[in-house]
Amino acid sequence: MANSYLTSESKKLATWYFTVAATLFGAQLLFGLVAAIQYVIPGFLFEILDFSVARMLHINALVVWMVFAMFGAVYWLLPDETGIETVGIEVGKLLFWIFTAAVTVVVLVYLFIQVGPADATSIWFIHEGREYIEAPRWADIGITVVALGFVANLFLTGMKGKRSGIVTVLMADMIAFAGLYLTGMFYTDNISVDQFWWWWVIHLWVEATWEVYVGSIAAYGLITMIGAHRQVVEMWLWIEVTMLFGSGILGLGHHYFWIGTPEYWWEIGALFSALEPLPLVAMFIHVLYDWGKMQGEESAKGLDRSVITNKPAFTWFVLNAFGNFLGAGIWGFFHTLPQVNLYTHGTQFTSAHGHLAFFGAYATILIGMMYIAVQGKNGIKVLNNSTSTIFATSMIVGGVVGMTVALTVAGYSDVIISRAQMGATWAGYFDAQATTWLTQGMVWRLIMGVVTFVGFFFLAKDLLTIGKSNIHVR
Amino acid sequence: MVNEAFVAQDILVDDFLTIFVSSTLVLVFGGFYVGIYTAVKVKLLKTWTMPFAYLFWVLTGYCLYLMGSLMHVNELTAKALVVAAIGLLLLPHAVYYMQDRVHEENEH
Repeated sequence: MANSYLTSESKKLATWYFTVAATLFGAQLLFGLVAAIQYVIPGFLFEILDFSVARMLHINALVVWMVFAMFGAVYWLLPDETGIETVGIEVGKLLFWIFTAAVTVVVLVYLFIQVGPADATSIWFIHEGREYIEAPRWADIGITVVALGFVANLFLTGMKGKRSGIVTVLMADMIAFAGLYLTGMFYTDNISVDQFWWWWVIHLWVEATWEVYVGSIAAYGLITMIGAHRQVVEMWLWIEVTMLFGSGILGLGHHYFWIGTPEYWWEIGALFSALEPLPLVAMFIHVLYDWGKMQGEESAKGLDRSVITNKPAFTWFVLNAFGNFLGAGIWGFFHTLPQVNLYTHGTQFTSAHGHLAFFGAYATILIGMMYIAVQGKNGIKVLNNSTSTIFATSMIVGGVVGMTVALTVAGYSDVIISRAQMGATWAGYFDAQATTWLTQGMVWRLIMGVVTFVGFFFLAKDLLTIGKSNIHVR
Repeated sequence: MVNEAFVAQDILVDDFLTIFVSSTLVLVFGGFYVGIYTAVKVKLLKTWTMPFAYLFWVLTGYCLYLMGSLMHVNELTAKALVVAAIGLLLLPHAVYYMQDRVHEENEH
């Protein structure tokens, strides 16, 4: 497609990143669907694409599409925030191709090789066996090079151009984002030590650097879409950064309860986990506050028009505020304290939380950024909702919420039977798996997964076609 | 040293649902508290609705207490929950104070 309205190379690169991200999002949903079918029909694709492989593809595609979209969003906003073209953009483009090629090879290896011998060959060329970040070592090194190149683009541009609060926060955040990946790259044969470092990548990424990233993107979106005052938005951003890092870094403790770490992590985990929902409440209120304030200013001028210049994107940003609060906040909080986590850890409760938190906190805002790119790419002043936007949004959101409810019901049965009544024994596990609540929960999860997958096709169609529609103000 | 609270005091099977519901309500009521407070401050709601915001905060505190008791949390965790409740009470006041100052600087 022609990038006729894009004069910035950085923004063009952003659209490439978004395209790959959307494709991988589809792959994530497809393999999730395969795994969901396998819960209901255990023999489905047996020895062709086993559950372990489908699940690996599902959760790794999740992380990778989000990283692609996150890089894309930064390349998109950099020219707007700094007032200059991204420094070293040609290197950025080269790194994009390296990243895309590496991910393609890794996915093909996961699909067709699947498992390797129990020696270093597997770690170097097939996968490392660490959930969420299973890329083999050669790809790990490649990802590190790409991440460092991306950070260099960001820093050099930030230092040369205007350095807004949003760019400053992103500069600090992305150096932590890239650096933390290194802690998931070395091998140790002690599972407790391995998990100890692995959680640095997973938790400190997701509950610290990714959340701060979301705060920055929300700030940019509010300025871009509703004309919120930069000074107000950036003040909120600093508050959120303080609260997120203040509670999020040591909130790491709630992953250290049962992996062989010292008992003091129970206390640390409990204390900081109890505080972790507070910034999520603040982020939720931030979006609604700015929206109400800007719409109020417009009404005070006697104007009846909406202040929103990109309705699909703004919908996804508001969904982000709600989703972050619900998925990460509520579904996280109700099993975060060690006293109850002892029973819920590793049950379908965790899965319910994982689905709603990743979707609510990250997928939503990244989809919103894709719509901002569609608007910019097509030179649209006010982007309105199309029929496909409404179908895509309601089916994806309805599907994910439905999956979460189904998994929560299944999880409750899992907790009561396999943990509380049967004491985490094998017999307890199998008894719980056979209960009506759990089996029906899995069927409903599959149905809602199909709804989400169909919604994705509407989303893909919408992203590809909405820019050409004549329902917008140009 | 093994903390006895973890190994000795099991959660009763009948208490799990109350624990999950009350911990959910902690954030739901907490959200109402902050939401109503903010809505009154940006004049979306009338000033007389403000006591309802504080009522929701009291309900948040009660749900935290209920959840903590049924979980048999130890002393330190109980203190952490109290700190979280007080943090939630103060949060919108502090944020709104700063927000107001920034708006004043912006608009005047």
